[in-house]
Amino acid sequence: MRIEHWLYAVPLRLRALFRRRRVEEELAEELQYHIEKKTEQYIAEGMSVREARQAALRDMDGLERHKEECRDMRRVKFIEDLLKDVRYGLRQLRRNPAFTAVAIVTLALGIGANTVIFSLVYAVLLQPLPYHQSSRLVVLNETTPKVGTVGVSYPNFLDWRSSTRSFTQMAAVESVDFNLAGVSQPENISGDAVSPNFLSMMGVHPLLGRDFEASEEKAGTAPVVLLTYSLWRSQFGADPNAVGRTINLDGRGFTIVGVLPPSYRGIDKTDVIEPIGVWATGDSDATERGGRGDLVVVGRLSPGVTLAQAHVEMEGIEARLAKEYPKANDDFGVKLRPIRDVFVSGMRPAILVLFAAVMFVLLIACANVANLFLVRGAARSKEIALRIAFGASRSRLIRQMLTESFVLASFGGILGLGLAIGGIRGMARLIPTDLLSGATINLNGAVLLFTVAVVVLAAFIFGLAPMAQSTKPEVQAGLKEGARTASGSKAQGRLRGVLATAEISLALVLLAGAGLMMKSLYRLLSVSPGFQPHHVLTMEIDLRTAQYSKDPAMLNFWQQVLERVRALPGVKSAAAGTVVPFTDSHDRSDITVEGMPLVSLGSWPHPDIHVVSPGYVSTLSVSLLRGRAFTDADKKSEPPVALVNQMLARKFFPREDPIGKRFIFGHPSAKKLPDWITIVGVVGNTKLYGLANPARLEVYVPLQQYPQNDMNLVVKSAVNPSALISEIRGAVASIDKGQPIFAISTMKQLVSDSSGERRITLVLLGAFSGLALVLAAIGIYGVLSYSVAQRTHEIGIRMALGARKGDVLRVVLGEGMILVAVGVGIGVVAGLGLTRLMASLLYGVKPTDPLTFTAVSLILAGVALLACYIPARRAASVDPMEALRYE
Amino acid sequence: MSRPSDLVQGTLDLLILKILALQPLNGWAISQRIRQISGGILQVSDGSLYPALHKLEQEGWITAKWKASENNRRAKFYSLTRLGRKQLEKEAADWNRLSSAITHVVRLEEA
Repeated sequence: MRIEHWLYAVPLRLRALFRRRRVEEELAEELQYHIEKKTEQYIAEGMSVREARQAALRDMDGLERHKEECRDMRRVKFIEDLLKDVRYGLRQLRRNPAFTAVAIVTLALGIGANTVIFSLVYAVLLQPLPYHQSSRLVVLNETTPKVGTVGVSYPNFLDWRSSTRSFTQMAAVESVDFNLAGVSQPENISGDAVSPNFLSMMGVHPLLGRDFEASEEKAGTAPVVLLTYSLWRSQFGADPNAVGRTINLDGRGFTIVGVLPPSYRGIDKTDVIEPIGVWATGDSDATERGGRGDLVVVGRLSPGVTLAQAHVEMEGIEARLAKEYPKANDDFGVKLRPIRDVFVSGMRPAILVLFAAVMFVLLIACANVANLFLVRGAARSKEIALRIAFGASRSRLIRQMLTESFVLASFGGILGLGLAIGGIRGMARLIPTDLLSGATINLNGAVLLFTVAVVVLAAFIFGLAPMAQSTKPEVQAGLKEGARTASGSKAQGRLRGVLATAEISLALVLLAGAGLMMKSLYRLLSVSPGFQPHHVLTMEIDLRTAQYSKDPAMLNFWQQVLERVRALPGVKSAAAGTVVPFTDSHDRSDITVEGMPLVSLGSWPHPDIHVVSPGYVSTLSVSLLRGRAFTDADKKSEPPVALVNQMLARKFFPREDPIGKRFIFGHPSAKKLPDWITIVGVVGNTKLYGLANPARLEVYVPLQQYPQNDMNLVVKSAVNPSALISEIRGAVASIDKGQPIFAISTMKQLVSDSSGERRITLVLLGAFSGLALVLAAIGIYGVLSYSVAQRTHEIGIRMALGARKGDVLRVVLGEGMILVAVGVGIGVVAGLGLTRLMASLLYGVKPTDPLTFTAVSLILAGVALLACYIPARRAASVDPMEALRYE
Repeated sequence: MSRPSDLVQGTLDLLILKILALQPLNGWAISQRIRQISGGILQVSDGSLYPALHKLEQEGWITAKWKASENNRRAKFYSLTRLGRKQLEKEAADWNRLSSAITHVVRLEEA
């Protein structure tokens, strides 16, 4: 019924709008036909032609009025009025090009900044994850008081899965990596080993080929992989026949059973996935209850079960497992996170702070434009009074003015969008990709929708303020007062003052935020990392093929690589270590120091372990505080030795010389004699996990005594270290040309990336607060110059009566500085409250840091003073004669 | 507003729908037909007929088509739609109820 109605109505209304001329002609023709027929009738009744025509017209009784009634019936009057208002608005904007340009640019900056930041908000916080009902997916880790969140033990996972009722499904995801060979340049690629039900649980279907099968969970299953879409394209040219072929990973042939869809997003960076049975084959972690690598568990919550309920159940299961396997599970707990949190990582606070900041910028921009509107509204008050006098309804006037605001805001929006396109690109370049964990920042439908919403919001904010003033039906006053003095109404002046004050307050809050970030970053960058990052290059080599399965082959490779790299021109020293600072997690192990009181398993000392070649400590310039560093003489055949860091030395040997003291890895055993490791040196603490993180216990052991297959080279050079990359590649290829080199970076870059998030926040917040400062200065400048222009006459009289230039300057400046002082005062109070919200981004500075607040208040006051000075000067240079004559 | 020929509010729609239910007509012909049928009692002013027609068209009750009338002149002919037929039934029923009620009241004998 309703639908049938619209079937008729919609085409009619569209026609009324878009074929208006035609519809009008038809209306005229229809009525004309009637009149002519009537005329004919009258003629037939005996009237003369002229009389008949007049009579027919008279019968129609107001042709135009009835035409208008017919038009009303079309129900498109609202839209027609709107179009009329838009045209009127455009005319108004064209008439004041300077006003229009300033307003549009101001709005464009505010809207553009909002669009840019929202694209980040959307990409990281809002964009739906490409999984089926992703809100029901949970990522589980184990926790231990010693290190916090850790990987899950695979045997524990199997017990979780068989005991849980809170989850309909669970899948293990172990991150793995491979050396990809048989390609132009060998590469190290990342992957996940997953339980066979993983993809179906996530709601992901392979683009080509098949999903894993349940049987592929068991150790000993044939090596198979699914390729990600991007690897399929880069290595196989998107060849559909790739399925069924083999790919050479770690020197073994893996059968490609399928390709993942392009939308697939791994829990971490992924190029291939394999069934967990392939990983379990020969990996001792798969059977060892105490083995905790990088395994996480993903589960789908059962219908109706909350995260908290699931947590309670998992803790119960974990407590039971701790009782059953006290050695492996003592003090372990379970941590549950919605899967979204894994992707959002630590970016959330920074993003929210930036989002709040751009909202402030938008408000300032709106206040500025509202002020411009007020000034112009004042000039137009006579016109408006006239229109009210002629019977225009108040709501009609409001609608018309709002339309004008919308037209202006739309132009601002379009220009802002243009700015945002560049801004988004710039910002995307600024953010290190690993901070985004796979999210792509771009201008998409959601962002555009947001921009439209901002445009509407802005139009209302700056459109409504002046309206409160100018549609008050003070018709009489409006008509009576001269065009110029009409605008000097006290209420309007006050509103403009309030707007300027608000702008200054908002700008102060932003400046305080930026100031605090700047101080944090300064503090952070002046923290010593414990090593010297200059001129040091690092790169990773992972020996994964069968030829290196024996220790001597492995050690021989490292020996040769280091020898050849050290021989390269420009290289000062080179060494190898398991994990360089600021990259990944180090291996950790419990240690037992000789004579140490025995503590509970959960609080056993658990230092980071560096396995290093001789020369590592000196290449990174870690300070050697006591004893000696490693040498080539620390061989397998020699007694085991170690270096410890200062923190460990102080903890265990506060009053003794740590040199010569002994410890073992793991816990004392009654069965066999401890294999004591002797401490031969003490080195300074290094910040392994970022400048802001506290130092940890560290132990160094020599590579020759603890052979490793996965090492990072550190190369110190006399020249720009990046220039050495290709020569080092050549040196490695001359030993084994199938061996990939990856994670190439300068140490300096690593240190700087570690503060990347704060740096980006500072750059963006700094840009926004600078914008706010400029806009607020323009705002107060506008208010004062307008006020001066209005009072030229009054100033003229004062000067004629003997006021001096200095007096006038003082009065005007005073007027401005009152606004500034109030604005700064409110801003400081608001800032002290609001900067608390960014506490997690700060380092070494309190959110209420008085120095920062004082400094930004002074900066803002200084800039505002300058903005006041210009109109004040103008006021002081008023020629009294001119001013008086002007009236 | 006291001219006897003035139509009770809303009845113009009913009249138009009824007349168009018999055959498609143009505006002029509709006005003639109303007068004819009612024996000259009901008169629709020339001006108010067209807004009413346009309203009914917007409601989807009648639809318009330009067709040749006598001596090849173009005129806008209105005809009833399916929706219009339903509306006519409804309005006719309403009218019958109303008029019989009023008739009933008018015929009450004074006590």
